Amino acid sequence: MPDQELTTHKKQELTGNEHTRPGRTYVPDVDIYETPDSLWLRADMPGVDEQSIEINVNDGVLSIEGQVEVKDYENLAPVYTEYNIGNYSRRFTLADSIDAERISARMKHGVLELELPKAEKAKPRRIAISAN
Amino acid sequence: MALIRFSPRFSPLDALLTLQRELDRTFESPALGFDLGVSGRGVFPPTNVFSDKDGYIVRMEVPGVAPEALTIESHGRTLTISGKRETSVPEGASFHRHERNSGEFSRSLQLSSDLDLTKAEATCKHGMLTVRLPKKEEAKPRQIEIKAA
Repeated sequence: MPDQELTTHKKQELTGNEHTRPGRTYVPDVDIYETPDSLWLRADMPGVDEQSIEINVNDGVLSIEGQVEVKDYENLAPVYTEYNIGNYSRRFTLADSIDAERISARMKHGVLELELPKAEKAKPRRIAISAN
Repeated sequence: MALIRFSPRFSPLDALLTLQRELDRTFESPALGFDLGVSGRGVFPPTNVFSDKDGYIVRMEVPGVAPEALTIESHGRTLTISGKRETSVPEGASFHRHERNSGEFSRSLQLSSDLDLTKAEATCKHGMLTVRLPKKEEAKPRQIEIKAA
Protein backbone atom coordinates (compact mmCIF):
# COMPACT_ATOMS: atom_id res chain seq x y z
CA MET A 1 0.00 0.00 0.00
CA PRO A 2 1.28 3.45 -0.77
CA ASP A 3 2.26 5.49 2.28
CA GLN A 4 0.48 8.53 1.10
CA GLU A 5 -2.50 8.37 -1.12
CA LEU A 6 -2.09 10.22 -4.37
CA THR A 7 -4.91 12.68 -4.63
CA THR A 8 -6.45 14.41 -7.56
CA HIS A 9 -8.21 17.71 -7.78
CA LYS A 10 -11.30 18.50 -9.73
CA LYS A 11 -10.63 19.50 -13.29
CA GLN A 12 -10.70 23.23 -13.56
CA GLU A 13 -12.95 24.55 -16.24
CA LEU A 14 -11.66 27.37 -18.37
CA THR A 15 -13.98 30.32 -17.95
CA GLY A 16 -13.89 34.00 -18.67
CA ASN A 17 -13.31 33.99 -22.38
CA GLU A 18 -15.36 32.70 -25.25
CA HIS A 19 -14.14 29.93 -27.47
CA THR A 20 -14.56 29.35 -31.12
CA ARG A 21 -15.32 25.72 -30.38
CA PRO A 22 -18.46 24.71 -28.52
CA GLY A 23 -18.29 22.46 -25.50
CA ARG A 24 -16.35 22.71 -22.30
CA THR A 25 -12.69 23.42 -22.05
CA TYR A 26 -10.50 22.49 -19.13
CA VAL A 27 -7.21 23.88 -17.90
CA PRO A 28 -4.50 21.20 -17.95
CA ASP A 29 -2.25 20.82 -14.90
CA VAL A 30 1.27 21.84 -15.74
CA ASP A 31 4.76 21.60 -14.37
CA ILE A 32 7.26 24.21 -15.49
CA TYR A 33 10.89 23.77 -14.60
CA GLU A 34 14.12 25.31 -15.60
CA THR A 35 17.44 23.79 -16.57
CA PRO A 36 20.56 25.82 -17.52
CA ASP A 37 19.64 25.81 -21.23
CA SER A 38 15.85 25.68 -21.32
CA LEU A 39 12.50 26.02 -19.68
CA TRP A 40 10.45 22.84 -19.81
CA LEU A 41 6.68 22.61 -19.68
CA ARG A 42 4.73 19.42 -19.06
CA ALA A 43 0.94 19.41 -19.32
CA ASP A 44 -1.45 16.61 -18.42
CA MET A 45 -3.85 16.11 -21.30
CA PRO A 46 -5.25 12.59 -20.99
CA GLY A 47 -7.11 11.35 -24.04
CA VAL A 48 -5.37 13.71 -26.46
CA ASP A 49 -3.15 12.25 -29.17
CA GLU A 50 -0.29 14.01 -30.93
CA GLN A 51 -2.45 14.79 -33.96
CA SER A 52 -5.10 16.62 -31.97
CA ILE A 53 -2.88 19.15 -30.37
CA GLU A 54 -2.16 22.68 -31.47
CA ILE A 55 0.68 24.80 -30.17
CA ASN A 56 1.04 28.41 -31.19
CA VAL A 57 3.30 31.27 -30.29
CA ASN A 58 1.80 34.60 -31.11
CA ASP A 59 3.04 37.93 -29.89
CA GLY A 60 4.95 36.40 -27.02
CA VAL A 61 2.01 34.26 -25.91
CA LEU A 62 2.29 30.51 -26.02
CA SER A 63 -1.04 28.74 -26.38
CA ILE A 64 -1.62 25.02 -26.18
CA GLU A 65 -4.89 23.42 -27.19
CA GLY A 66 -5.82 19.77 -27.24
CA GLN A 67 -8.93 18.07 -28.59
CA VAL A 68 -10.24 14.88 -27.07
CA GLU A 69 -11.56 12.00 -29.11
CA VAL A 70 -15.31 11.65 -28.64
CA LYS A 71 -15.59 8.54 -30.78
CA ASP A 72 -14.50 6.30 -27.89
CA TYR A 73 -17.62 7.26 -25.96
CA GLU A 74 -20.18 6.34 -28.58
CA ASN A 75 -23.00 4.11 -27.36
CA LEU A 76 -21.81 4.24 -23.76
CA ALA A 77 -24.10 5.23 -20.92
CA PRO A 78 -22.44 6.81 -17.88
CA VAL A 79 -23.05 4.90 -14.66
CA TYR A 80 -20.71 6.65 -12.25
CA THR A 81 -18.62 9.72 -12.96
CA GLU A 82 -15.88 11.64 -11.24
CA TYR A 83 -14.62 13.77 -14.07
CA ASN A 84 -16.07 15.44 -17.12
CA ILE A 85 -14.57 15.27 -20.57
CA GLY A 86 -13.60 18.25 -22.62
CA ASN A 87 -10.90 19.86 -24.63
CA TYR A 88 -7.86 21.42 -23.02
CA SER A 89 -6.55 24.94 -23.38
CA ARG A 90 -3.99 27.08 -21.60
CA ARG A 91 -1.91 30.15 -22.39
CA PHE A 92 1.38 31.40 -21.08
CA THR A 93 3.17 34.66 -21.62
CA LEU A 94 6.74 34.03 -22.64
CA ALA A 95 9.65 36.04 -21.40
CA ASP A 96 11.93 37.64 -23.97
CA SER A 97 14.64 35.28 -22.90
CA ILE A 98 12.94 32.37 -24.70
CA ASP A 99 13.98 31.59 -28.25
CA ALA A 100 10.52 31.02 -29.73
CA GLU A 101 12.00 29.75 -33.02
CA ARG A 102 13.49 26.71 -31.36
CA ILE A 103 10.56 25.51 -29.23
CA SER A 104 10.04 21.78 -29.63
CA ALA A 105 7.24 19.50 -28.44
CA ARG A 106 6.49 15.85 -27.90
CA MET A 107 3.61 13.87 -26.52
CA LYS A 108 3.82 10.73 -24.41
CA HIS A 109 1.15 8.87 -22.43
CA GLY A 110 -1.16 11.87 -22.56
CA VAL A 111 1.45 14.34 -21.35
CA LEU A 112 2.64 17.16 -23.58
CA GLU A 113 6.24 18.13 -23.09
CA LEU A 114 7.56 21.40 -24.48
CA GLU A 115 11.14 22.50 -24.51
CA LEU A 116 11.51 26.27 -24.54
CA PRO A 117 15.18 26.95 -25.18
CA LYS A 118 16.65 30.08 -23.69
CA ALA A 119 18.03 32.64 -26.07
CA GLU A 120 21.81 32.73 -26.18
CA LYS A 121 21.98 36.07 -24.42
CA ALA A 122 19.83 34.81 -21.54
CA LYS A 123 21.92 31.76 -20.73
CA PRO A 124 23.86 31.92 -17.51
CA ARG A 125 27.48 32.65 -18.09
CA ARG A 126 30.35 32.19 -15.81
CA ILE A 127 32.82 34.98 -15.91
CA ALA A 128 36.32 33.89 -15.34
CA ILE A 129 38.50 36.12 -13.28
CA SER A 130 42.00 36.25 -14.52
CA ALA A 131 44.76 36.49 -12.01
CA ASN A 132 46.22 39.97 -11.47
CA MET B 1 -38.00 17.14 -52.74
CA ALA B 2 -35.21 15.53 -50.86
CA LEU B 3 -35.02 16.36 -47.21
CA ILE B 4 -31.64 16.23 -45.57
CA ARG B 5 -31.99 15.52 -41.92
CA PHE B 6 -29.39 17.08 -39.72
CA SER B 7 -28.01 14.13 -37.87
CA PRO B 8 -25.86 14.45 -34.75
CA ARG B 9 -23.87 11.53 -36.12
CA PHE B 10 -22.04 13.95 -38.35
CA SER B 11 -21.17 16.39 -35.65
CA PRO B 12 -18.61 15.25 -33.12
CA LEU B 13 -19.11 18.54 -31.30
CA ASP B 14 -22.77 17.81 -30.66
CA ALA B 15 -21.70 14.40 -29.45
CA LEU B 16 -19.28 16.06 -27.05
CA LEU B 17 -21.96 18.40 -25.70
CA THR B 18 -24.36 15.53 -25.19
CA LEU B 19 -21.68 13.53 -23.45
CA GLN B 20 -20.78 16.39 -21.12
CA ARG B 21 -24.43 16.84 -20.17
CA GLU B 22 -24.80 13.13 -19.57
CA LEU B 23 -21.73 13.07 -17.37
CA ASP B 24 -23.07 15.96 -15.33
CA ARG B 25 -26.35 14.17 -14.86
CA THR B 26 -24.70 11.12 -13.33
CA PHE B 27 -22.32 13.17 -11.22
CA GLU B 28 -22.97 12.53 -7.55
CA SER B 29 -25.29 9.70 -8.39
CA PRO B 30 -24.59 6.34 -6.78
CA ALA B 31 -22.84 3.79 -8.91
CA LEU B 32 -25.15 1.01 -10.02
CA GLY B 33 -23.68 -2.32 -9.13
CA PHE B 34 -20.40 -0.69 -8.18
CA ASP B 35 -19.07 -0.07 -4.76
CA LEU B 36 -16.10 2.23 -4.69
CA GLY B 37 -15.51 1.55 -1.02
CA VAL B 38 -13.07 3.71 0.86
CA SER B 39 -11.40 5.14 -2.19
CA GLY B 40 -14.02 7.60 -3.27
CA ARG B 41 -13.84 10.86 -5.12
CA GLY B 42 -10.68 12.88 -4.96
CA VAL B 43 -8.43 9.86 -5.12
CA PHE B 44 -6.12 9.41 -8.07
CA PRO B 45 -6.89 8.34 -10.72
CA PRO B 46 -10.24 10.00 -11.46
CA THR B 47 -12.62 7.28 -12.56
CA ASN B 48 -15.68 7.11 -14.77
CA VAL B 49 -17.79 4.00 -15.24
CA PHE B 50 -19.87 3.45 -18.35
CA SER B 51 -22.13 0.66 -19.44
CA ASP B 52 -23.09 -0.77 -22.77
CA LYS B 53 -25.00 -3.85 -23.79
CA ASP B 54 -22.04 -6.16 -23.20
CA GLY B 55 -20.98 -4.96 -19.79
CA TYR B 56 -19.14 -2.16 -18.04
CA ILE B 57 -16.29 0.05 -19.07
CA VAL B 58 -14.09 1.65 -16.41
CA ARG B 59 -12.12 4.62 -17.65
CA MET B 60 -9.42 6.37 -15.66
CA GLU B 61 -7.28 9.39 -16.44
CA VAL B 62 -3.68 8.36 -15.90
CA PRO B 63 -1.58 10.92 -17.79
CA GLY B 64 2.13 10.26 -17.59
CA VAL B 65 1.74 6.68 -16.43
CA ALA B 66 3.33 4.15 -18.73
CA PRO B 67 1.20 1.04 -19.38
CA GLU B 68 4.05 -1.03 -17.88
CA ALA B 69 3.74 0.90 -14.62
CA LEU B 70 0.11 -0.19 -14.13
CA THR B 71 -1.09 -3.33 -12.41
CA ILE B 72 -4.66 -4.54 -12.67
CA GLU B 73 -5.70 -7.41 -10.45
CA SER B 74 -8.92 -9.09 -9.56
CA HIS B 75 -9.62 -10.96 -6.35
CA GLY B 76 -13.08 -12.40 -6.37
CA ARG B 77 -15.32 -9.45 -7.10
CA THR B 78 -12.72 -6.81 -6.31
CA LEU B 79 -10.81 -5.14 -9.09
CA THR B 80 -7.68 -3.30 -8.01
CA ILE B 81 -5.80 -0.87 -10.19
CA SER B 82 -2.46 0.28 -8.89
CA GLY B 83 0.57 2.00 -10.27
CA LYS B 84 3.06 4.73 -9.97
CA ARG B 85 3.14 8.15 -11.53
CA GLU B 86 6.47 9.84 -11.84
CA THR B 87 7.00 13.46 -12.62
CA SER B 88 10.73 13.54 -12.08
CA VAL B 89 12.86 16.32 -13.49
CA PRO B 90 16.59 16.40 -14.21
CA GLU B 91 18.83 16.97 -11.24
CA GLY B 92 19.45 20.60 -10.49
CA ALA B 93 16.29 21.81 -12.25
CA SER B 94 14.22 24.38 -10.42
CA PHE B 95 10.43 24.47 -10.48
CA HIS B 96 8.48 27.50 -11.56
CA ARG B 97 5.16 25.71 -11.35
CA HIS B 98 4.41 22.36 -9.83
CA GLU B 99 0.79 21.31 -10.27
CA ARG B 100 1.22 17.69 -11.24
CA ASN B 101 1.26 15.19 -8.39
CA SER B 102 3.42 12.14 -8.36
CA GLY B 103 3.46 8.99 -6.30
CA GLU B 104 1.96 5.57 -5.97
CA PHE B 105 -1.72 4.92 -6.24
CA SER B 106 -4.13 2.08 -5.72
CA ARG B 107 -7.87 1.98 -6.24
CA SER B 108 -10.33 -0.84 -5.75
CA LEU B 109 -13.76 -1.35 -7.17
CA GLN B 110 -16.34 -3.87 -6.00
CA LEU B 111 -18.00 -5.37 -9.00
CA SER B 112 -21.40 -6.91 -9.38
CA SER B 113 -21.46 -10.69 -9.55
CA ASP B 114 -22.86 -10.85 -13.08
CA LEU B 115 -19.52 -9.81 -14.61
CA ASP B 116 -17.06 -12.29 -16.03
CA LEU B 117 -13.67 -11.09 -14.83
CA THR B 118 -11.83 -13.85 -16.67
CA LYS B 119 -12.78 -12.01 -19.88
CA ALA B 120 -11.79 -8.56 -18.65
CA GLU B 121 -9.54 -6.59 -21.01
CA ALA B 122 -7.53 -3.45 -20.47
CA THR B 123 -5.96 -0.91 -22.79
CA CYS B 124 -3.97 2.20 -22.02
CA LYS B 125 -3.67 4.86 -24.68
CA HIS B 126 -2.75 8.55 -24.50
CA GLY B 127 -2.93 8.50 -20.72
CA MET B 128 -6.39 6.93 -20.58
CA LEU B 129 -6.84 3.51 -19.05
CA THR B 130 -9.85 1.56 -20.24
CA VAL B 131 -10.89 -1.66 -18.53
CA ARG B 132 -13.66 -3.56 -20.23
CA LEU B 133 -15.64 -5.86 -17.95
CA PRO B 134 -17.99 -8.08 -19.92
CA LYS B 135 -21.14 -9.51 -18.42
CA LYS B 136 -21.44 -13.24 -18.00
CA GLU B 137 -23.12 -14.85 -20.99
CA GLU B 138 -26.27 -15.63 -19.02
CA ALA B 139 -26.52 -12.02 -17.81
CA LYS B 140 -26.46 -10.48 -21.30
CA PRO B 141 -29.72 -9.23 -22.70
CA ARG B 142 -31.27 -11.69 -25.06
CA GLN B 143 -33.90 -11.31 -27.67
CA ILE B 144 -36.59 -13.94 -27.49
CA GLU B 145 -37.92 -15.09 -30.74
CA ILE B 146 -41.65 -15.30 -31.24
CA LYS B 147 -42.70 -18.52 -32.81
CA ALA B 148 -45.50 -18.53 -35.29
CA ALA B 149 -48.50 -20.29 -33.87
